[in-house]
Amino acid sequence: MTRREEILEKAKTIIVESLPELEGQEFDESTVINTDTGIDSMGFTLIICRLEAAFDVRIPNRQWQKLSTLGDVVDAIDKRMPKA
Amino acid sequence: MCTYAQLQAQVLERAHRLGREPGLCRGVLCDGSFACVVEIFATVIFGKRLVLLNENASDAALIDMVREAEISSLWGDPDLLDMLAPYLVPHAEGGPGRVLFFTSGTTDRSKAVVLTSASLMSSAYNGGALLPLNQDDRLLCLLPLDHVFGFVCGLLWGLSCGASVALGRGARHYGDDCAFFRPTALSAVPLLLGFLLQHQALNPELKLILVGAGGCPKPLLDAARAMGKAVHFGYGLTETSSGVALSLGSDPYAMTICPDDAIDIAPDGEVLISAPTCVMEGYWRRPEDTEKALAGGVLHTGDLGRLDWAGRLILTGRKKEMLVLMDGTKLFLPEYEGAIARALGNPNLCVVLEDKGPILVVEGSEQEKGPLWEKLKPVMAELPRGQQLRGIEFYGGPLPRTASGKIMRWAVQREGKKEK
Repeated sequence: MTRREEILEKAKTIIVESLPELEGQEFDESTVINTDTGIDSMGFTLIICRLEAAFDVRIPNRQWQKLSTLGDVVDAIDKRMPKA
Repeated sequence: MCTYAQLQAQVLERAHRLGREPGLCRGVLCDGSFACVVEIFATVIFGKRLVLLNENASDAALIDMVREAEISSLWGDPDLLDMLAPYLVPHAEGGPGRVLFFTSGTTDRSKAVVLTSASLMSSAYNGGALLPLNQDDRLLCLLPLDHVFGFVCGLLWGLSCGASVALGRGARHYGDDCAFFRPTALSAVPLLLGFLLQHQALNPELKLILVGAGGCPKPLLDAARAMGKAVHFGYGLTETSSGVALSLGSDPYAMTICPDDAIDIAPDGEVLISAPTCVMEGYWRRPEDTEKALAGGVLHTGDLGRLDWAGRLILTGRKKEMLVLMDGTKLFLPEYEGAIARALGNPNLCVVLEDKGPILVVEGSEQEKGPLWEKLKPVMAELPRGQQLRGIEFYGGPLPRTASGKIMRWAVQREGKKEK
């Protein structure tokens, strides 16, 4: 498993842990967070904060609205993690 | 932590130094920090025209706002200051006591509303007259200060009553700031209240919640009340320096009109506000818009409502082509739908509001949504997350239209509700 895949899997787990109502939903990199998951902007904030803590990175607030798909979120985390 | 005296000393000290900053108009990129609050008050005390800006707005929106409000110097994140420097207007007009807020709408229609330090304080006193706090209270300020509801009801309300005000630690702490600061009072938009309830983040000491800046579903109000919290719903606009009516009794939707304000209902049901101490001076550099909004000396709100037997205001809908979202922001539909129509190359669509947010309804039968989302991505990327579309639905046939061909959005909305 590549680091990117690992981030994606962990992100999926954190999303469902944060918002249990999403249990059973399928996510992949192309999942549009706003629309495919029903996550509102507060839920999104919660998830980003938990992902930041889990991966020990900080995504500037101004970048948040540009994160459309789960793949965008994975990219934002991957880019800020130390090089393997 | 600081006392009122220490806050005043810091504001005066900062105001003294502001003379070194160029120009007569200062923009503040609000980050909600103590330094930000000091900068805001210092700018007013020094006598510069003040413009409050959302530091999380897109680059394009910020550039648009700096140009629109004609700002000559800025305070805030250094990276943003560098980005915005080319757009500053060194010899911009001043205006001591003037404070400009941008209407919380889609960016290409952003209008700067000219309020004053006096109108903002009047609004805070008005609110405090109906919902007084005291020195033992602690008001938690979680809302952005560039939004007039956040500024007046999250900050000035507490300060004008002599209460403690706790400045929230930013979006990353929405879930734990109540536990951290243990407030007794909180101002919230419906979306934030829903989040705090869902995550059981309200502290036991919290006794008063003021909800405003957007329609709030009754279950949310009921859930907060079931926890023993006094929940009040407020109604106001940026143009009235925040609230002009507040619910005080058991019915959260019957709102008592604030002491300095008067509300009339026009023959077509539009809510008309006379608020001499709180109403805006106008829209910055937009005399025609100002004249239209303040025709006859009263503010034409675009909201529909009625007054009950006790003279309380009950809102019944919207007249303007605008949606007020749960996070307190507004969508101006002609622009919003126009941008979507251009992106999709299809004008046969409309946007309606459901509980989860704005939904795009497209004329015709069901089709693959993926390619539509792909085309919409650049449009949505320019909008705050709360204003982005939450779904696409297909109407199944021609959208209902008026005789002049205008889409009857209310009929589409009603159809959607009926189906549910």
